[in-house]
Amino acid sequence: MRARDNPFRTEQVLKVRYRLPGVGWEDFLDRLAALDYRAMILGPQGAGKTTLLEDLAPRLCARGFNPKLLRLRRDGPGFPPGFLGTFFAGLAAQDVILFDGADHLGRLAWARFKWRSRRARGLIATSHGRRLLPLLIECSTSLELLEAIIEEIPDSGAAKLRPLLPAMFRQHQGNLRNALRHCYDLCAANAASPRGEV
Amino acid sequence: MSTVKLMLRDDRTRFRPGEQIEGGVAWQLDRRAKSIEVRLFYYTKGKGTTDLVVVDHAKFEDPPPERAEKFEFCLPAAPYSFSGKLISLVWAVEAVVLPGKQSARLEFVVSPSGREIDLDQTQLHGDRAASDARAG
Repeated sequence: MRARDNPFRTEQVLKVRYRLPGVGWEDFLDRLAALDYRAMILGPQGAGKTTLLEDLAPRLCARGFNPKLLRLRRDGPGFPPGFLGTFFAGLAAQDVILFDGADHLGRLAWARFKWRSRRARGLIATSHGRRLLPLLIECSTSLELLEAIIEEIPDSGAAKLRPLLPAMFRQHQGNLRNALRHCYDLCAANAASPRGEV
Repeated sequence: MSTVKLMLRDDRTRFRPGEQIEGGVAWQLDRRAKSIEVRLFYYTKGKGTTDLVVVDHAKFEDPPPERAEKFEFCLPAAPYSFSGKLISLVWAVEAVVLPGKQSARLEFVVSPSGREIDLDQTQLHGDRAASDARAG
């Protein structure tokens, strides 16, 4: 199967957005307001923290805030020299910092970051485990969630994939991003299959 | 609701590197737009991060509510359209109403043969050639 026909290609997977468990966006935003817009999103890799943070941005805009997205990767470079100085100097009263991967900062660097962010209206950070701020939500995954996501992806061949999903979910220890990449590889390997079959 | 439509001359979907690509963009706007931009670009689809390179663009400033305009671009010598299992490179033109998200896109193939290069077949031929060379 050609990469551009693969139902699990990146652009298709990115269309799947975060599903808030048992709560609507308004209630979720009210909880964030109750935490004075300083809170953290906790969860293991591949649990949807980044997606949730991205989905939060337009909703904060709708409430009159100005979201500022920052991202640090575990295996990526840190912020370039001088970047944070310029960033903090430009902060305004309605800015809410959305910091993905904040736990990749050392403890001292994080304390300094929090202090320098005080001029912003809010600071929402994601973390794999370290408690950086009061907890907004703990992201988790389940086999049912993986099944539902695969149902949502067009032409995914969900019926044929379903029997494989329990083992795949265990193999990737609940990391849905890696499970979806696994689905990509299965489709890519099966070149002879018509579209939608695995 | 605003609409924007794109078409390529003679409805072509295959081009050779360096060729001229001509088309038209037509729009109907229900609110004032700052500009309408037509972009020639290529991008990747597949397993990894999507890369996108804008090669050229044409901009129609302060567009009236309804109009059709022509555009033309010269395709560069490379890259060619290709597909493998991990990545595809896709050429396209896109018209975007700015500001906003209203857009239209047309994808097409750029290669010397006019056909997308199939990396798996290329690999297969390469393997056969190497095997023949060893046997010969």
